Amino acid sequence: MKFFYITIFLVSTILANAKVVDIVEGMSYVKIKANGKTYKIKRTQDKDAYLTNTFALTSRPSPPFFIEPFSIHNEVETYGELEVLDFLVEKEGVFIDARLENWYAKSAIPAAVNIPFKLFLTKSKKRDKILKKLGAIRNEEGTWNFTEAKTILLYCNGAWCGQSPTAIKALLTIGYPANKMKYYRGGMQAWQLLGLTTIVPKEKK
Amino acid sequence: MKKLILLLILTMGVGAGQFDKVKITPELSYIYVYHKGKAIKVHRIQDTKHKLTGEYAKQYRPGQDIQPIKMHKDIQTIGEVELLHFMKIKGNNKTGVLVDLRPRKAHNRESIPSSVNIPASTKDDKVKLEKILKVFGAKRLDDGSLDTSKVMQVAFYCNGLWCDKAPKFIKTFLELGYPAEKMLYYRGGFQMWKILGFTTVTNL
Repeated sequence: MKFFYITIFLVSTILANAKVVDIVEGMSYVKIKANGKTYKIKRTQDKDAYLTNTFALTSRPSPPFFIEPFSIHNEVETYGELEVLDFLVEKEGVFIDARLENWYAKSAIPAAVNIPFKLFLTKSKKRDKILKKLGAIRNEEGTWNFTEAKTILLYCNGAWCGQSPTAIKALLTIGYPANKMKYYRGGMQAWQLLGLTTIVPKEKK
Repeated sequence: MKKLILLLILTMGVGAGQFDKVKITPELSYIYVYHKGKAIKVHRIQDTKHKLTGEYAKQYRPGQDIQPIKMHKDIQTIGEVELLHFMKIKGNNKTGVLVDLRPRKAHNRESIPSSVNIPASTKDDKVKLEKILKVFGAKRLDDGSLDTSKVMQVAFYCNGLWCDKAPKFIKTFLELGYPAEKMLYYRGGFQMWKILGFTTVTNL
């Protein structure tokens, strides 16, 4: 009989201690519809989950890798993970993975579209096509009208990655409004360190 | 003799290159700060194969919510570059102080150089808080109000993106009347500091 009570006591203690890893209290996942798919983003519930892949590397050679400032421009907002999730849920705009295709193909944040940062740096037909897709209109004299342009949120590998800042700076120079651009500085590294869901994008462009 | 010179040149080359391999920003490889009276060089691990392991590589954080990027509209969130600038300028000339809000044990084991430990639990201890305010340069006036005209700037950190100790402590400080513009929130915290390979110190 005593044993029975002890068992009940033990089981209830274990249950009370088995805490879930929420995104924020009471919200264990977020469902997002994007690119014709539904993604469920949550944090790892695996007790033994450690970051061990290349994102656990502390020191990348510089150049090209330097620690990026917290803010790119005083009107380009820097986002954290909760703001990224809000942006996706509220469908506030286009979520852009600004890394080169080979990085993106390996693993990415769900719901992102891959537009490698290099495409924003020089005048090209490809760039113009992207800008038009983002809602920019080309003026007769060759400049751009961004009045109807979508809000975009860019990320890359993390605090040591200059790809998304470079893309944002290039867009600023051609007049993309600063308040229509957001920067997720934590990027892939912070995202994974928090145990958030990543995907391996299957379709290659 | 020739060999010796060659060796000298080689070691010099390695020595100089070492600082340059993994920099902080294009202009910055390291800074010096004072930690318990000693000058400490703060830079990044130069081994490009080094991976973070152990407690701070852990992804499973039950009961630890992700913190918003901004904890209060008037409190500036900073990253590593801004924190280093703060440590170098404000910290070194004692117009600023870097505060580690993690428990004493964690701080003693390993911390950011130049940081002082105020365990987050202190926020419920009114007597201690009053002392801390005084150390930071605030004056309690006879009418009970707080003169904050000469307070130091304080940068706070705790464990990282999933740690609510820094936001909560900063809120307490705001309620006590500490000016928002005199506080900074390093949200990345000890975990981001570690994963970027920055120098740490032990306080045992």
